[in-house]
Amino acid sequence: MRFIIRMAARELRSSWRRVAFFFICVAVGVAAIVALRSLIQNVRVALAAEARTLLAGDISIRTDRPWSDDARRIVEGRLAGVVPLRRTEIVDTTTMVRVTDAAGARTKVVELRGVRAEFPFYGRFRLAGNAPYSFDLLRGRGALVAPELLAQLGLEVGDEILIGDVTFTIRDVIFTEPGRRLGAFSFGPRVLVDRAALDETGVLGFASRATRQILLQVEAPVIDPLVAVLREDLQEEMVRVRSYRGHESRIERNLGRTENYLSLIGFVIVILGGIGVWSVTRVFVEQRLRSVAILKCLGATGGRVLAVYVTQIALLGLSGSLLGIGIARAALAAVPDSLAAQAATAAGLTTVSTELTGSAMVQGVAVGLLVSVLFALVPLLEVRHAKPLLLLRRDAVRAPAGIDWARVAAVGLVGAGLVAVAVWQAASLEVGLYVSGGFAGVAAALHLIGRGLVRAVAPLERAPWFALRHAALSLSRPGNQTRVILLAVGLGSFFIIGVRAMQTNLLGNFDRELRDDAPDMFLIDIQQDQADGVRAILEAGLGEAPPLIPVLRARVTGVDGRRLSFDSPRGARRAGLGREYTVTYRASLAENERVIAGRFWDEVPAAEPEISIEEDLRDERGLELGDTVRFDVLGREIAARVTSVREVRWDDTRSGGFMFLFRPGSFGAAPHTYIAFMQGPADGDARARLQRDLVARYPNVSVIDGLTVLQTVRRVLDYVTLAISVVGGIALLSGGLILVGAVAMTKFQRIHEAAIFKTLGANARMLTLMLVLEYGVLGILAGSVGSIGALILTWALARQVFEIAWFPSVFTNAGGVVVTALVVGSVGVVSSLDVLRRRPLATLRAE
Amino acid sequence: MIELRGVSKTVLSGGRPLTILHPTDLSVPAGQFVAVVGPSGSGKSTLLGLIAGLDTPSSGEIAIDGVEITGLDEDRLARLRGAKIGFVFQFFHLIPSLSALENVLVPLEIAGEGRPADKAAALLRDVGLTARGHHYPSQLSGGEQQRIAIARALANDPPILLADEPTGNLDSANGRHVVDLLVDVNRKRRTTIVMVTHDPELTERADIVLSMRDGRTC
Repeated sequence: MRFIIRMAARELRSSWRRVAFFFICVAVGVAAIVALRSLIQNVRVALAAEARTLLAGDISIRTDRPWSDDARRIVEGRLAGVVPLRRTEIVDTTTMVRVTDAAGARTKVVELRGVRAEFPFYGRFRLAGNAPYSFDLLRGRGALVAPELLAQLGLEVGDEILIGDVTFTIRDVIFTEPGRRLGAFSFGPRVLVDRAALDETGVLGFASRATRQILLQVEAPVIDPLVAVLREDLQEEMVRVRSYRGHESRIERNLGRTENYLSLIGFVIVILGGIGVWSVTRVFVEQRLRSVAILKCLGATGGRVLAVYVTQIALLGLSGSLLGIGIARAALAAVPDSLAAQAATAAGLTTVSTELTGSAMVQGVAVGLLVSVLFALVPLLEVRHAKPLLLLRRDAVRAPAGIDWARVAAVGLVGAGLVAVAVWQAASLEVGLYVSGGFAGVAAALHLIGRGLVRAVAPLERAPWFALRHAALSLSRPGNQTRVILLAVGLGSFFIIGVRAMQTNLLGNFDRELRDDAPDMFLIDIQQDQADGVRAILEAGLGEAPPLIPVLRARVTGVDGRRLSFDSPRGARRAGLGREYTVTYRASLAENERVIAGRFWDEVPAAEPEISIEEDLRDERGLELGDTVRFDVLGREIAARVTSVREVRWDDTRSGGFMFLFRPGSFGAAPHTYIAFMQGPADGDARARLQRDLVARYPNVSVIDGLTVLQTVRRVLDYVTLAISVVGGIALLSGGLILVGAVAMTKFQRIHEAAIFKTLGANARMLTLMLVLEYGVLGILAGSVGSIGALILTWALARQVFEIAWFPSVFTNAGGVVVTALVVGSVGVVSSLDVLRRRPLATLRAE
Repeated sequence: MIELRGVSKTVLSGGRPLTILHPTDLSVPAGQFVAVVGPSGSGKSTLLGLIAGLDTPSSGEIAIDGVEITGLDEDRLARLRGAKIGFVFQFFHLIPSLSALENVLVPLEIAGEGRPADKAAALLRDVGLTARGHHYPSQLSGGEQQRIAIARALANDPPILLADEPTGNLDSANGRHVVDLLVDVNRKRRTTIVMVTHDPELTERADIVLSMRDGRTC
């Protein structure tokens, strides 16, 4: 053992400089794992401490419909015996806020919440200037608003806003509030008012989209049994009951999943480093065969020699991992406190620590170490074949003929080991296998592209131009790192070019839709008695009123079908049909629809309800022609037979899209609301005026401006692109490091070649040109690998996943190839400068 | 000490069998100094490699210090070499990443020697290179490298020292120095030495001279 450790340490002393770059790649990946895991673990710790604050109570009973008498009765019945008990009620809705002041009239979609004096049971509001919250701020038509609303409408505390027909005075600004859902999507800034005043605004009219919530504070032992009985009693009532613990555990689960998924990003980067380790070990072993033979000649057994080199790799892997922890610590320490506080606030938490956690560090080090050793193992097995006879005869055979079963077993072990690490990191067998398979697939595809490209430039090896010929030859010189550089750098540019090209495709499709006659303004919640008035305003504003589409909100309560059968809301949830659907009825197909199975009804209204379903309901959910689907529409049950299946072109939004389409006559005279899709005026003032006129006359009608939504989509896409580009950037950095390392590994050979070239008359300019051409060609190949991979990826995503038109993003792809070639060219040439400087005689003498 | 009975070696050359050592019998008693001479390609190095267990004979048996080595696997052969055989090569074959002292330490550490540093220092002193212990092979002259290689070969006090043209790569002064060292080892330590050489001076000082030609002893 002493021999193994001492020998490993001595060998490291001379070799660490050459192999360090590969372990810096491991360090970068480990840093990503440790930093991301630590951050999310800290959020989880903060979450556990503030679980009640996130719900603002112990139990929440909520529904998206007005409370039915039955639901009310059940709730009251169950609460009757609970002592002590505190309760309050909250209403949330999305609505329009108007302002009319000297600066003109403006409107804005907001998330309005009405609360009572008891709210909240847990947690504290944080208001501007740290003033304490009191319900008195809301009394007498006061409102507390999020800071964005002030900025967007140019308001100040003390100004007035109109909600429905009621004027509210802004009394203060909310920074954080209890009971806000963590990471929930929001349509607009928060506005908080008195629950009683909200009723007076009239925005909670018929069929308006509002969530009503009863919040309870009870003694701890009562919580779970009470939640259980309420859930049981209310399961047919479209009411959700949740305790703060359930709420916490759901977020906790999501966060846990997020942590595991994010750490997989780090894992993929570590794998890149691992590929570098594999490659460098191969060359390293090649260069160490004579030393191995000497050791064997001096009495060391094959196992002990192997142990020396495995120990070296383990020590390097450990150092790389520890360096990764250092990088993670530095990265988190570099996050400004203000930004951390802002992020915590955005997540609804008071504070989140930016310290590294022990478990994240242990996991990071373990992954770094395991991946390093696993990747090095197969090339290290070569030392077994180094015979001491090599010292007497240079042509001594090393590898025995036939299949090397130990090597095959090692490859199997390494593969299984890597999959096991992926499964461990993802904390899911399925995800681990998926990620391993995905990575292997992408790596194999990029590798094949790389091989094809190398073959394509092979004719250059016969080019008449000396420098170019040698640049091409060097791609396949013994000990070359072409494959691994193409893979690592190609993967980095693949990520970056791919995500940028995808962004261009998505935005291009949005833009295309907007340029055509696609709608960019949507009206919802138009009441039946408002339809004529809305039409008149639209006609005045647009010249022609778009059709108002009647809609009802329906929930599936049962299905009698061949593949699918159930008869309760719980069954619907299990079948993936649990959400509330917006449904409509009409006698004909819209322009973006066509029937792909069954027969569409004729113009005559029928007494027996019929529905046409969107193809996904058949393909993904299991509904079929002839099935009977039961719906709860406004508390009334309607059973409708599926008579046709439609394909809807979702990219054409002129007529909207509905999963369930009813035959006219199905609902009788049931009350419903209308929605409308239209192209708003192009002129900004006219657009704002139309929205203002609509909301002033019909305050309950919400106007969603597609242009604003598109801006949000662009912003979200920008964030996603940035995030994936950062991952790609790290992969590219790893590729760059592997390149530097590869140059360092083969420098000995380069110096020797350069010395011979110099002796034969090549000058420094010629040698520099050869280097520039060599790394330029390598860079172009690596960029092309990434670019071709990105083209395939964007095509597949656009056509198969998003189902949108695909067009090659020429600028992004060409730019990506050029940038990659420049990066690889510069890194390669700069790290080879030493080769140019050496005097040939000194090199040849050393031989 | 060293017994060879009908040992031969045949290799494939261009797809055809080529006998580089015809069946040979040899017995070297303990403490003898044997010089193996002959022209290039006569099978000298092959014979030496077979005795050291670096290569496997195509036929015959080899016994070292009473141990039959032809049936031993790679690891057992390595252990045997560590305990019983020291080897000195024409091209020194020091480990370039280790200092002179560390090169001498390696066989002692492999054998699990208790105080390897003291013994390595003593060996360096014996070959007159105490001051060069912390130099790397690339910083030493050929003669110095070969003396370090001899110190390394003697580290575990092997009863047998095999040397493959140890002066073949040295100038005459350094060559003489190495010859003196080897003769000294043979006389003082009673180490059996089998040496391949073209050096007439070395041949003169050997107890037995074994001539080889075309894979045969003569």
